[in-house]
Amino acid sequence: MMDAVPNPLNQPGDPRDRGGPAQPLLSVRGLVRHFPVKGSGFLKPKKVVSAVDGVDFDILKGETLGVVGESGCGKSTTARVLMQLIRQDRGELLFDGESVGGTLPLRDYRRQVQMVFQDSYASLNPRLTIEDSIAFGPRVHGISPRVAIDRAHDLLHRVGLEPGRFAGRYPHELSGGQRQRINIARALALEPRLVILDEAVSALDKSVEAQVLNLLLDLKRDFGLTYMFISHDLNVVRFMCDRVMVMYLGKVCEIGTRDAIFDTPGHPYTSALLASMPKMDPAERTKVPPLSGDPPNPIDPPPGCRFHPRCSFSEDICTRMPPGVSSAKTQHSVACLMAEPGGLHSRAPALQESGS
Amino acid sequence: MMNPMIEIDNLSVTFNRGRKPVQAVNGVSLSVKTGEVVALLGESGSGKSVTMRSLLRLHPKGTTITGRMQVAGHDVTALSARQIADFRGAVASMVFQEPRLALDPVYTLGDQITEAIMRHEKLGRNEAFERALALFEKVRIPSPERRLKTYPHEMSGGMLQRAMIAMALACNPRVLLADEPTTALDATVQIQILLLIRELQAEYGLSVIFVTHDIGVAAEVADRIAVMYAGRIVEEGAVADIIRNPQHPYTQGLLGARVELAGHRDRLVTIPGAPPDLADMPKGCAFAPRCVRVMEACGQAVPPLTGTKGAGQVACLHYA
Amino acid sequence: MAAIITQDKAMAVATVARSPGYWSGVARRLSRDPVALVALGLIILLVAMAILAPYLAPYDPTKASMIRRLKPIGTPGYLLGTDELGRDMLSRLIYGARLSLIMGVIPVPIAFVIGSAIGIVAGYVGGITNTLIMRTVDVFYAFPSVLLAVALSGTLGSGLGNALVSLTVVFIPQIARVAESVTTQVRRLDYVDAARASGAKGHTIILVHVLGNVLGPIFVFATSLISVSMILASGLSFLGLGVRPPDAEWGLMLNTLRTAIYVNPMVAALPGVMIFLTSICFNLFSDGLRSAMDVKS
Repeated sequence: MMDAVPNPLNQPGDPRDRGGPAQPLLSVRGLVRHFPVKGSGFLKPKKVVSAVDGVDFDILKGETLGVVGESGCGKSTTARVLMQLIRQDRGELLFDGESVGGTLPLRDYRRQVQMVFQDSYASLNPRLTIEDSIAFGPRVHGISPRVAIDRAHDLLHRVGLEPGRFAGRYPHELSGGQRQRINIARALALEPRLVILDEAVSALDKSVEAQVLNLLLDLKRDFGLTYMFISHDLNVVRFMCDRVMVMYLGKVCEIGTRDAIFDTPGHPYTSALLASMPKMDPAERTKVPPLSGDPPNPIDPPPGCRFHPRCSFSEDICTRMPPGVSSAKTQHSVACLMAEPGGLHSRAPALQESGS
Repeated sequence: MMNPMIEIDNLSVTFNRGRKPVQAVNGVSLSVKTGEVVALLGESGSGKSVTMRSLLRLHPKGTTITGRMQVAGHDVTALSARQIADFRGAVASMVFQEPRLALDPVYTLGDQITEAIMRHEKLGRNEAFERALALFEKVRIPSPERRLKTYPHEMSGGMLQRAMIAMALACNPRVLLADEPTTALDATVQIQILLLIRELQAEYGLSVIFVTHDIGVAAEVADRIAVMYAGRIVEEGAVADIIRNPQHPYTQGLLGARVELAGHRDRLVTIPGAPPDLADMPKGCAFAPRCVRVMEACGQAVPPLTGTKGAGQVACLHYA
Repeated sequence: MAAIITQDKAMAVATVARSPGYWSGVARRLSRDPVALVALGLIILLVAMAILAPYLAPYDPTKASMIRRLKPIGTPGYLLGTDELGRDMLSRLIYGARLSLIMGVIPVPIAFVIGSAIGIVAGYVGGITNTLIMRTVDVFYAFPSVLLAVALSGTLGSGLGNALVSLTVVFIPQIARVAESVTTQVRRLDYVDAARASGAKGHTIILVHVLGNVLGPIFVFATSLISVSMILASGLSFLGLGVRPPDAEWGLMLNTLRTAIYVNPMVAALPGVMIFLTSICFNLFSDGLRSAMDVKS
């Protein structure tokens, strides 16, 4: 079907694959990013927003990793650091085993990782035609204008927009759904292996959202892509993702397979998030809000477990001791004292006796 | 007494800006009983917000409004400019999607609420302030006394929406109009606000029109749902009936596109195509070009809402 | 199957529907704005008048005559009267358009180029570089334009060239500030991030994605400066820091006719009327351009 984009890419035998299927496509280690608060530091105490504060996770080859959390939890900052639009203060990114910015130069990394933003209008240059916007990336990487435009037309075809009708038009002439398809085509123009979707369908109407989600699934299969799917909509995440990571105030509180997260959530915050989704059954309406209050400000995160002020299981120990990520099961890790065997929380499972 | 609190009869709204007039609402009839919550459900451009804003006559100059609107015995279309100003807030008040844009950034929340109370009722500043404090407690804003002295930008989105609700209820209105009040909020905050609206509605016996694009939100708050498409109501009925047994192909399509109902299918059922251009509407049923059950007759004339009022109505030739 | 699609595609590529470009849209919207069109027409007339001055002026603008000083408007043979040295006002006003337009118009495009370059670089790079550049610009910006122009001209000495230089220097900080703020806004938009994510270098992004979106607003601002420049230039000449007598320039004429204001106020006001008309034309045109460049309208 497609001739300009060769198909063996991202399939078994992709020449760019290094570590084989078992090696994560992207490993994130100890990622930290703080922002100074405007107006602080001059005659005032210096304040920082701990947008991302020590985050570790892997994105496996061929999977869709969902990232959920309230506003201010650091999911968008994480995405921008992964895209290297902002640099981390500390921490390392390993792409298919190679250190980004070290053995893997930034420019080569960026060819393989692309991003789709939430605001479909702001992410397209209003002065460029659709085909020029899509062809820009390939041309930057030295592909001839003619070939780049051909590829842009192919991609338009692939995202369901007829090139003859759309290639020569400008973003403001199109609907939100059409623009988001173009943003997806633009992201694919560099033949990436990983695509970061930052709330990519959140601004769309539900019927259009469904069309774009189907498109994303088709493209993932056809191009053998890996997705990082950031969304505030847990229902969409459940539909799209293989694994899910839950973030709260700049930290990972739970990460695991979709079924583990949705069926047996281990962190009280995950349970609260799930319970907050509107029920589709008027006979089973929510009676009590699962969480009270607004998401806290990441300027002064509470000590100990960051969730403790809103947690109904909070004990004295939670205010003092930050939980580690229990990695007992790689399928499912939880950062909660209640999940640490032999821990100091009264609900923690007992440590299994060894030797007796 | 059994007269409905809100009665909209054959409402049409046409915007005359730009080169072509745009008919945003096209013959909408809707009634809301005392103490009833009706959700107006639709996608962008369906006319749901325009319908609701007509009830307060909030449209820009040069907008043509035809049809009849009765709210609590007031004929909204006949009110003078002065009367409509008294009507807003005292009889019907509104909660917006973006409280940050609806509140004045240079006054404290307390000033804005006391001003609103004093504008409608003969109360002294102290009494008005007392009422504002009581309202802030009612919508469960923590440390209300301190919060009344803050400016809008110092509050988080959820708290601001609570303040907005307090302000809307300040003059004991009988009708609350909510325009996507939870769309800009996190899910954890959204559910709190939905529960708050439901609770206040029950306590004060308010009639509520709740505009939303999210059928899940409608399921949480509404007694009835009216589904809008391209400026018309295409289906209307009790919330459970609409969700469990949708009739109109558009409603069926919307529910089919819901991810949470997709189960373990690997693709979503979608509605093909896009809504029609409101400046250039098709002759017959506006949904016909996207409809999987389209017949020849669908292109001839606009199907009317049929069925008994209150027991569910649908505008589709398949049920005529 | 594949062949059919390829053929299909080839046809599609051959017949890509092209939307009219941005500037043709601007031209179309401008052509529907009567006020801007009238202003533009008057500007063109003024320029034509300046170019064709030798053919239009009935007399030599510098030829004085002691016997027909300060004739009123409507004197036979001297339609707009004569000035304090008996020179024909109509001829002097026509010739005056040359120097007045040069002094009003020339500094603005030069300042546009330099100011935009400074502002765009500062806005795109941001951080410390931005602070250094913009604070330096602010030092100049802190002076009132008139004061700065007078001070610079006074230091450099009178004459047309020095007046042009000082006016240019006055406008650079103003344009740079606008350019910086517009660029900072564009810089934060997602499409610039998307371009960075595609691996493009800074200068490519500025050329492809930033310039096209910031030059328009800066240009509109610059056109509004032309009227200011005309008035400042007249002011310099009025103070004797610009054009020197006996050359005809509206500001200078206003100065030399100042003494005649009680004898023949109508004639004395004529150069002022010309300055007013010209600057208002540039302002109205600039307003029209601003609304025509707004895609949403």
